[in-house]
Amino acid sequence: MSSHGGPLSEKDYYEGDQSKLYSGLMSHHTDVESTESKTQIKKIWKVFWILLVITLAEVFIGMKLSHSMPKPLLAFIFLGLTLLKAGYIVAIFMHLGDEFKGFIITVLIPLVLFVWFIIAFLADGSFWLHMNNSSSARQHLTGQAAH
Amino acid sequence: MSHATATTAQEPNLWGGGRSPYNVSYGKMMMWAFLLSDALTFGAFLISYGTTRFFSTVWPDANTVFKSFPFAGEHANLPLLFVSLMTFILIMSSVTMVLAVHAGHYGDKKSVTKWLLWTIVGGIAFLGCQAWEWTHLAGECGGLWGTFTDVTTPVADYERFFNTESIEVKNIFHNEPLVAMQSTHNFFNYFFTITGFHGGHVTSGVIFNILMLVNTVNGTYERRGHYEMVEKIGLYWHFVDLVWVFVFTCFYLL
Repeated sequence: MSSHGGPLSEKDYYEGDQSKLYSGLMSHHTDVESTESKTQIKKIWKVFWILLVITLAEVFIGMKLSHSMPKPLLAFIFLGLTLLKAGYIVAIFMHLGDEFKGFIITVLIPLVLFVWFIIAFLADGSFWLHMNNSSSARQHLTGQAAH
Repeated sequence: MSHATATTAQEPNLWGGGRSPYNVSYGKMMMWAFLLSDALTFGAFLISYGTTRFFSTVWPDANTVFKSFPFAGEHANLPLLFVSLMTFILIMSSVTMVLAVHAGHYGDKKSVTKWLLWTIVGGIAFLGCQAWEWTHLAGECGGLWGTFTDVTTPVADYERFFNTESIEVKNIFHNEPLVAMQSTHNFFNYFFTITGFHGGHVTSGVIFNILMLVNTVNGTYERRGHYEMVEKIGLYWHFVDLVWVFVFTCFYLL
């Protein structure tokens, strides 16, 4: 590895300390007691408390309110809170929020596929149930079992 | 303001060569690529679970299936409590991991060692909880995968996994309980597959963390001049936590 600030040779890209190539998170921190470092640690613990409170809220809703609320509303609340938690983990814990915008977009765009996957597959599942319940064969079966 | 101006001035050169346009090292980028593919695998599992659930007339009730707690006795009715503990352990271990990554940025060997150690403790505690839950549920349904295939199974063996106050459930058990047995079979197959796949990830994460702990203590990263490995495995560990967030919602809440 070439010394700090010196020109990089081609070899450094492959065998050297790659982290020195980047001006991002890895670079040139020295003082763990610095204000910058302490602010970062504070932020980490803050996210921990947020995640904990969201989880407790989910558990409370799941235990106390799940049988008295309409199912779609319940699903909406749970999925919203889940995505919120996921956002905090990815943005803060995985430091994706600190990366370059181009990289963030590159990571997130493939996940948009999930929107389509979920809609398509769940719709197919409920259509299958609809067909199954309305088929004459099944009504015959149900009629038989009821006698 | 001055920061914004500097960024704008840099933009045209971003893809001009001579620098990393994403400002990410090769190893980190490849870890993200792997995590994306792993997200698709887990996504496929969970969506498949959702599809099966959507085409089932009735489905076991999470508050009834997951109501036990270690040492609380046979008839404990503590829904969601144990899985909340597991979730807490995993979130906590994610925090200790990110603190290890943070210490790594500053080359603070002592803190990296301490936080990695706590992360390993958290990971093992989580696996211990999962081992208990698996053992308990295997006892409840007479095995891990593939149980509830025998049509002569007594109805009471699977009726206890359902919310029997629901009218829909009552009707099914009155008219055609085998439909409910099929749902129970599917539910447990998905449960053991998905939590097993996740548990496998936790296990390999713990192994990676132990290897990193050894390297840290031996000064390998110190000599290398950076703790990027901690950052890369940190990404993996947080991803495993992230997957648990979704597993938790899909199996225990919805």
